[in-house]
Amino acid sequence: MTNETFDVLIIGSGHAGGMAAKVLTESGIRCLMLNAGPVADVARNAQHKPAYELPYRGFKPPGRLEHVFQANEFNANVWVDEQEVPYTFDAANPYNWVRVRLFGGRSLFWSRQSFRLSDYEFKGKAHDGFGEDWPIGHADLAPYYSRVEDIFQVSGAMDGPPQMPDGNFVLDDEPWSQSMQRFIAASKPFNMPVCKQRRALGRDGLASSVNLLLPDAERTGKLTSIANAVVRELTVDKNTGQPNGCHFVDRLSRREMHVKARVVVLAAGTLESTRLLLNSSVGNSSGLVGRYLMDQVYGPGVTCSVPEGRNGKATKELMGGGAIVPRFRNITTKSTTFLRGYALNVTSRIAPVDPRNFAAYGAKLQQKLQEYHGSSFHMTMMGEVLGRYENHVRINKGKVDAWGIPVLHVETKYTENEYNMAKDAVEVGSAVAEAAGFEVLSKNMVPNPPGYSIHEVGTCRMGDDPKRSVLNRWCQSHDHKNLFVVDGASFTSAGWQNPTMTILALSMRASEYLAGEMSKRNI
Amino acid sequence: MLRRDFVRAVVSVSFAPRSLLSQQPANPAPPPPAPVPWTLGLNPKTPLPHTEVVDGITETEQRFFTPVEMATLVRLCDVLLPPIGDKPGALQAETPLFLDFLIGSSPAARKKVYTGGLNWLNSESQKRYRQPFAKLDDTQADAILKPWLRTWMNDHPPPEPHADFVNIAHDDIRTATVNSKAWSEIPSADAQASTTAGLYWSPIEPDIYAESSDRTRIPAHVIAAPKSANAIPAYPR
Repeated sequence: MTNETFDVLIIGSGHAGGMAAKVLTESGIRCLMLNAGPVADVARNAQHKPAYELPYRGFKPPGRLEHVFQANEFNANVWVDEQEVPYTFDAANPYNWVRVRLFGGRSLFWSRQSFRLSDYEFKGKAHDGFGEDWPIGHADLAPYYSRVEDIFQVSGAMDGPPQMPDGNFVLDDEPWSQSMQRFIAASKPFNMPVCKQRRALGRDGLASSVNLLLPDAERTGKLTSIANAVVRELTVDKNTGQPNGCHFVDRLSRREMHVKARVVVLAAGTLESTRLLLNSSVGNSSGLVGRYLMDQVYGPGVTCSVPEGRNGKATKELMGGGAIVPRFRNITTKSTTFLRGYALNVTSRIAPVDPRNFAAYGAKLQQKLQEYHGSSFHMTMMGEVLGRYENHVRINKGKVDAWGIPVLHVETKYTENEYNMAKDAVEVGSAVAEAAGFEVLSKNMVPNPPGYSIHEVGTCRMGDDPKRSVLNRWCQSHDHKNLFVVDGASFTSAGWQNPTMTILALSMRASEYLAGEMSKRNI
Repeated sequence: MLRRDFVRAVVSVSFAPRSLLSQQPANPAPPPPAPVPWTLGLNPKTPLPHTEVVDGITETEQRFFTPVEMATLVRLCDVLLPPIGDKPGALQAETPLFLDFLIGSSPAARKKVYTGGLNWLNSESQKRYRQPFAKLDDTQADAILKPWLRTWMNDHPPPEPHADFVNIAHDDIRTATVNSKAWSEIPSADAQASTTAGLYWSPIEPDIYAESSDRTRIPAHVIAAPKSANAIPAYPR
């Protein structure tokens, strides 16, 4: 009979779990990694095809993945099936929970935008009085950000204002295109800093746990990984009251299994880690597990055309390049309609303009598409969602997933703060575009449903006070010193930034702390 | 043969099979039912039969729209995306019958957008011109459609009635046509859209048990045009 007790059980294999595995195994710690889904093998599972060879000509398979706006017929099979792993919400307040359970999780598919949080996020309450400050600041995380940026080969320029700290970049010294220069000049009266985009280049075209983190862990010989292991609940030692492993079910055979470990590291993705804690009734003496669900407002934006790029005149000197406008509201001035702020992704492209940008059809539409081809200029918003107690998840005991595990009920909605922010973003974006001499073709002020950004964070927020937070500054449970949550669940505020770099840095920091404590036999 | 030898021979023959069996494994594999086990033979060198996609060879059976709705849709497709240059139009790409299949397989809210929209087009046509939309000329059809054309961004079609149908249907008609085999066979010039192509992911270790079991259902998708001031539209597909 196998009765092996691992040093550390890591649940989840994405950026957070992969980083924990790398750090812990490189410290000589034996880890078991469980992942709920299979390994994706491009050579075996994917094939290049034209849309007409697919059953729905490239349309999203009807009725499937209704809350995954990102899905299409080509990628429909990589997302979690909403009927296999359902979740519930009030129809008046929809939530888009966008999930991937393949080995490597959502690290296989992400936009690569790579930003640090600044002290405007870590210490947001100190600036505007809302919410809670994180128990750490940028200085605490900076060394870890720097190492993460090296591993992920983050490109960028050292042009960030204080609200977007610079990092350890592969320097981007490409000159701005003329359209971008015009945008930069036009944005100055609006006090908008325009910076070079920051993105993870990764290696060999991928910036994922499976190619940048897990291979290092596997090389140590200390990592054991199991696919298709759907964790049902954490187990607790009857004598000590501490977590000591988990029950899981094999995804395909339904065989019920269990495994023991001295330490449990949750890295299943914000809401799955929280679901597991709630289903296990573990680590929730504060009553705050599931509370303060946050993400970022996506959807609002402006589509423009650069007139000089029309009628076949677009050149590489005129068009091209990407920029990030970091948050500029409520930094040196104070908005009367919303707290915190938003960033704008700015893109200039020699590319077709989407037909939706013209109120025309048939030959007239084709004429417009011909004329405007190559002149497209876009702005899209990434806005901070405030952490509110009432925005939460809880277990819906009346509904289970395909393995009989109770599902999450999500109760969250945007407030006037987020709607006002979206309105401001589109108004300012349009004004800058017009000042730059661009034609605004279409705009949208309406946010996509919460969750759409795939940046869900919070629900196990960190803090120094065990009554007001779930985790301490090391992503360690206040209740159980051998329980860590290293994914986005630990966030105390969301910020406007893509959270991946922060998740990686927090996981690295927490894992090094854990390794140190284990070597000192404190855990 | 002596009688004693005969008896010995009979006894040895009757025992022989048992002694032979005793040399076999405890649970021998059953003999194959045929000269070659039936899963044996397929290998990487096996030639793959060449097959075609059905479009352009066979015809989709109309199952969802009523004959009147289909006639309206056919006319709408021809008006919104006629043949341009060498490129086929929506009719040549068999878009109306494809949409009958697609919409007929879709959630109720999407069906309602289409059936409501097609019936509105027809009643509007009857009101203005005393004839069905299917019989309108291009100028008449344009007079009905043009006021409802909007510009919009992805996932945010206009929520107002009629404009939602006209713009969603236009987008669907274009996508279905551009992604058809007929469209792909004519090279796209300049700014003409090209047929989408990409990496198609097959189901990865699909869970056959879950496919066949009774599953709980997520709540119905949200409505296409929510009423509240700050509602978040979703486009049920």
